[in-house]
Parts: sequence; C-alpha cells; structure tokens
Amino acid sequence: MKSTWLEKNTFHYSEFNDLDRLVEEKQRKNLKISLCLPTLNEEKTIAKEILIMKSELMTRYPLLDELVVIDSGSTDKTREIARAYGADVYEATEILPDLEPFKGKGENLWKALYVTKGDIIVYLDADIKNIHHRFAYALLGPLILFDNIKYVKAFYDRPIAIGKSKIRPTGGGRVTELVVRPMFSLFFPELTQILQPLSGEYAGFREIFEAIPFPIGYGVETSMILDIYEKWGLDVIAQVDLDRRIHRNQDTRALGKMAFVILMTFINRKNKLGLIDLKEDLFNEMIQYNLVKNEYKPDIFQIEGHERPPIIEIPAYREKFKK
Amino acid sequence: MDSYLDKLPEFVDTIKSIKETIITNIVLIGQIPAPTFKEKRRTSVFMERLADFHVDECTTDGYRNPIGIVKGTSETKPPIFVVAHLDTIWGTDIDHYYTIKENSITGAGIMDNSIGVGVLVSLPEIFRKLNLRFESDIVLAGVIQSLGKGNLRGIRHLLKTWSTPIRGAVCIESNELGRLNYYADGMTRCEIDCNISTINGWEHKFKPNAILILNEVINQILKLRLPQRPRSRVIIGKMSGGFKHGMIANDARLGFEIQSNSDKMVKSISNNIKDIVEGISHEYEVELKLKTLSNIHAARIKFNHPLVKSTVDVMKKLGLTPISEPSESELSIFLSRKIPAVTLGITRGENYQQTNAMVEIEPMFKGIAQIIGVIMAIDSGVCDEEYLA
Ligand SMILES: Nc1nc2c(ncn2[C@@H]2O[C@H](COP(=O)(O)OP(=O)(O)OP(=O)(O)O)[C@@H](O)[C@H]2O)c(=O)[nH]1
Ligand SMILES: [Mg+2]
Repeated sequence: MKSTWLEKNTFHYSEFNDLDRLVEEKQRKNLKISLCLPTLNEEKTIAKEILIMKSELMTRYPLLDELVVIDSGSTDKTREIARAYGADVYEATEILPDLEPFKGKGENLWKALYVTKGDIIVYLDADIKNIHHRFAYALLGPLILFDNIKYVKAFYDRPIAIGKSKIRPTGGGRVTELVVRPMFSLFFPELTQILQPLSGEYAGFREIFEAIPFPIGYGVETSMILDIYEKWGLDVIAQVDLDRRIHRNQDTRALGKMAFVILMTFINRKNKLGLIDLKEDLFNEMIQYNLVKNEYKPDIFQIEGHERPPIIEIPAYREKFKK
Repeated sequence: MDSYLDKLPEFVDTIKSIKETIITNIVLIGQIPAPTFKEKRRTSVFMERLADFHVDECTTDGYRNPIGIVKGTSETKPPIFVVAHLDTIWGTDIDHYYTIKENSITGAGIMDNSIGVGVLVSLPEIFRKLNLRFESDIVLAGVIQSLGKGNLRGIRHLLKTWSTPIRGAVCIESNELGRLNYYADGMTRCEIDCNISTINGWEHKFKPNAILILNEVINQILKLRLPQRPRSRVIIGKMSGGFKHGMIANDARLGFEIQSNSDKMVKSISNNIKDIVEGISHEYEVELKLKTLSNIHAARIKFNHPLVKSTVDVMKKLGLTPISEPSESELSIFLSRKIPAVTLGITRGENYQQTNAMVEIEPMFKGIAQIIGVIMAIDSGVCDEEYLA
C-alpha cells in the first residue's frame, strides 16, 4: 500500500492560523460557511463552544457566517443556554417535520443541511471541554486554500478525562484501534491512513454532504468516509492534527454498542456496494449480559440502523436550494 | 475634568457588547493550569492573546512576567500599570476546564484569578471598542509567583527593574466587586518546626510530643498583649504534624502571620514570639526552628488621596459601595515604592478557593467599567505631583 496520501494530505492546525488570509480567500472565492453543533444534553460545554467560535471566528474574524445548534431533545438546559449565547437553535424534529423522525447525531447532521446556508459546513461535537477556535479554522483551512480538497477530518493526540478532576495524558480511541482500523486494514488498506476515522469533527462542501446518505446514529462517521472514498476517491480528503481534545472516558459496554453500530453500518455498506455477499440480513440486536442475583440477564440494545438518503433526493431540499 | 464619570454607565453596555471576547480570554487563559512557579504555559497563552489583539509591545521582563504595552499619546507622561497575578493555588493534575451557564462560569481558579487575568488581556480590545486613547502608556502585566511561597516575587522584580517612574497602578482581582484596597498592613509570615529527634542524642525520659509543644507555643502567643492601636494581630493559620492516632507525634509544624498597620509593631511581636520559641525550646529540651517566610511593609495612601477619592466617585457612579480592608498583595509592593495604587474586584461568586469556584457573569461588566474609570482618572492626573500640590 502506498501511503503518499498521508504525507500529502495531512496537516497541522498551525499551518492555518493566519486567519486574515483565510478570510481573504474565503471572500475572494465568495464562500459562505456554516458551523453546526449537534447536541444531546451538553449544557456543560455548549456555551463555551458558542462563545469562543462567535468571538474569534465571527466577531473578530468573519470566517463563519452562521452558527446552528441542532438538538436531539435535550432534557437539560442545552437549548436555553445555546439561545442565550446567540446560536440559531433547532430541535431536530422541527426540521422537515413531515418526515418520520429519528433520533441520533447523524439525523441532526443531515437535517442541518436543510437549515444551514453555507457552501461549506463544519461539524463539531458539542462536548469538547478544551474547545478552541482552531477546531473550526483548521478544518476550514484546506477547504478554503486548496481547490482539490472537499472534505477535512480531524485527528488528535487524545487524552481522556478520568474521574472528576484528574486527567491522564494518553489513551482513548479504543473503538478506532480495535474495530475500525482492523476492518479498514482488511477491506480498504488505503483508508488506514485516516488516523482517527471516528473523530466527530469534520468539515466539507455542501455538494459532498448532500450527495451521500447519513446513518442516523454512531455509524455516520464511518459511512461518510466510505462513501466519499467510493465516490470521489481519497484525494479529496485531508486530515488535520488539532492537537489535543479532552474526551470523556466511556465504559466498555458503551463502546461495545458503538462498535456494534459501526460494524453493522460497515457491513451493510459493503453489501450494498456489492463488495461482499451477505447470505442473509444481519441481526439488529446487541446483546450484553448482566449478572443479577446470580443469574445472567441479557441486556438487549436494538438498533434500527435507519439511514437517511442523500438529502439532494428530498424534494423540499431541492426546492429550497434550487437544485 | 470629571466628564468621564458621566460616560461610565454607557461604557457598561459597550463592554457587554464584546462579552464573547472577554469570556473567551478568561476561558482560554484560565483553563491552563498555572500553579505558583509553573506559570510558563499560561504565560505564553497570555502573550499569544495580547499579540493577537495587536498590542503595541508584547514582551516578558527579566523575570518572565508577561507584559503588553498600549502606547499613549504623550512622550513625557509616565506609564500606568494594570496588573493581575497569573498563578493559582491549583496543581496541574486538577481539571481546569470551565463550565459556562447563562450567568455563571464555574471551575478551578476562576475566582483567583482567571477573571482578573482574562479581563486584563481584554483591555486593549475594550479600549478600542470604547474609542479610548490615553496620554500614558498602559502597561498590562500578568505577574507570576505571587501567591504563597511565591511571595510576590513577580511584581517585586517587575517594579525593581522598571527604570522609569510609574504614574499609578490598578491591581485586578476576580473577586469581589466593591472592594477598594489602598493600604497594606505590615506582615511577617512565619513557620515553626518542631522535630523530636529519635536517633542520636540521649533518650528522653518522658518523650515530648511535638504537637503538644506547639500547643504550648500557641498558648503563649495567645497570652501576648497586642495593642488595639496600632491595630495588630497574630493569625494562627496552618498546623500539621504527627503520624498515627496512637503514637506520640515526632514532628509538627505551625504557620502564622503577624499583621499590623505599624511595621514597628510587627517587629516587636516577632521578637516576642522569638523569645517564646527559645524559652520553650530550652525548657522542654526540644528543637524548635522559627523560620520567616516573607515580609511585607505597611504602606498606604490616605483615604483623602485623589486616587482613592476618584475611585470612590467612579464606583459610586456605577452604583457600587466601596468596602476597604488592608490587602497584602501586589498593591503593597506598589505602595511601598510610593506608587499610588488601588486593588479592585471584578465580580461576585461563591466557593472561593475551591475547585468548583463559581462567578457571576453579569456584574463583571460594571467591574470592568470601574477599572476603565480609574485608569482614566489616573490618566487625567490624579496621581501626579502637581495635582497633589
Ligand atoms: N449519543 C448521541 N449524541 C447526540 C445525539 N444527538 C446529538 N448528539 C451529539 O453528538 C455529539 C457526539 O455524541 P457523543 O455521545 O459525545 O459521541 P462520541 O463523541 O462518539 O462519544 P464520547 O466518547 O462519549 O464523547 C455530541 O455533541 C452529542 O451531544 C444523540 O441522539 N445521541
Ligand atoms: Mg463526544
């Protein structure tokens, strides 16, 4: 396998910190840029993300044209706080209300395409404790400066937060290393050059996002990479080192579910592309066991595996964007 | 000359209009741990931010205090200093990530002194937003090694090596809005160590207990007659010692401060305590070590000093009631060098000195307007000799 992509298309955020230049190029190319934050109960971090992005990339440097929060029905104060700090806040269910509603991050990302106006959309998870404006401008850098790049993915040296107030310098990314990387190695060795395929932070041109399907849940990151790779090839993708991202540490059970969804998405996608031949449908239940009073009780987690079609196929979208 | 007073209320709204930027500075700097003596990372973010706001000169002094200078219009007027200490009591292993809600910011060090530091760095942008130019250069200094064992080394060094006169100074603390400090007590901070040696020398017939020895020291200190005037006191502030519940303590340590508005009184109490320690050491045949950790001289400007008067006017104009107590911080170093100075607080909060310290956002804008008002007062000459004459 050649790893020329990794050398050519991997960047460090510091290569893009001349914000005047980014703004100038953005204006010259007449681009509009939207930032989208998908949320579900993120009252602790949402204000910080909005404040910093607004201050640095809207007020001080006009790089972002809008900042939207798409919420999955938070039961904490996420939406109120986001509104108080001036984001455009939507509940996912309010967008395209005639469609059957689904719940998940992927659903929010997909619906964001309908309510945002940008030619470029930046997606950032809303749970980033050490949020900094580089998370957005560095993802935008390659899209604005290099004509061939259409999609940019973040990677990190990921420390994880342990307990309430201690942090530890390395670790994280278990699902990446134990599931996605082996899978990519088996089927698409070239894709292993994408160092953190599961990172929740990426940006791309609308013409890319509107032409691919979005799984509604955890599978969205993997499927996005596969689709972009299949449709446009690796060369339209770049990755940027954003330094550190402080992440909460999930337990193994939660990661198990995540791995399940990712595997399911991956296998279905390969099947659809005709790359493998499934003799029967996959089961859609992740089964984990609990020991309750000396008895093993199954804990079943059902995943519908719903997927939204490319939004360009939705008439309301085509009408709104005159496509 | 007092025309600036009338502008203050509308300043509050203008300052509020860039609240995103002010809070961003507070967060980006405050989230970097900076325990005393390990302020390097915070220092570089501080400088980066100043440079980012195109401050005329960004540099560090010989002691690595980060400094930004906003150039004034006059060639001759001495500079005005605005300082906030950078260091915190929290170690690098403590989570410093802040949580922001509609009207609050929560997290380690936010009250001491992230708000102060974030506001300091935001001043150039606030000046710009308010269309303010000053005659004096404004020197914005984040000072290191301030707290505890740092013993105000950063500010001491900065002022000692600053080669030209200084017109006046404002020290910024996150908390508490309404404070107006303009005098510093004399202070000596000491530690007494009691060690009962177990190895060499002869064995005690009745082995003394280090904690009880220090207890005796405390008792005798408490018996000292301290005058009401000059106002003086001894604060027994820290104690540690012993090893196990069921074992006679081999070691113990006592930390205290002698405070008085008269340096002479501090000296005299300090001598008394030295005598007490020597006496007990002799009588009980134990080793007692008295160590002086730091000293501050009593210094003040008078309540009727024009700087204090104008500060009171500024605060009143903003509906604040000034509350004055002695303060042994950066302020005392300015005052002891005969530089008129005040310390002011930016906002209110709770859980001071805890990892879940919390401040209110809304009062901050008044707190900042007040700082601006006082800088304008100094720039208009209230600290100058001609004015005082
Ligand atoms: N899990 C989940 N996240 C959602 C949903 N809707 C929006 N989100 C947001 O999607 C982002 C990523 O979700 P996370 O649960 O943090 O997923 P993750 O980053 O893979 O996992 P962590 O390791 O827990 O951070 C966050 O900003 C969520 O608030 C939803 O329905 N479920
Ligand atoms: Mg996350």
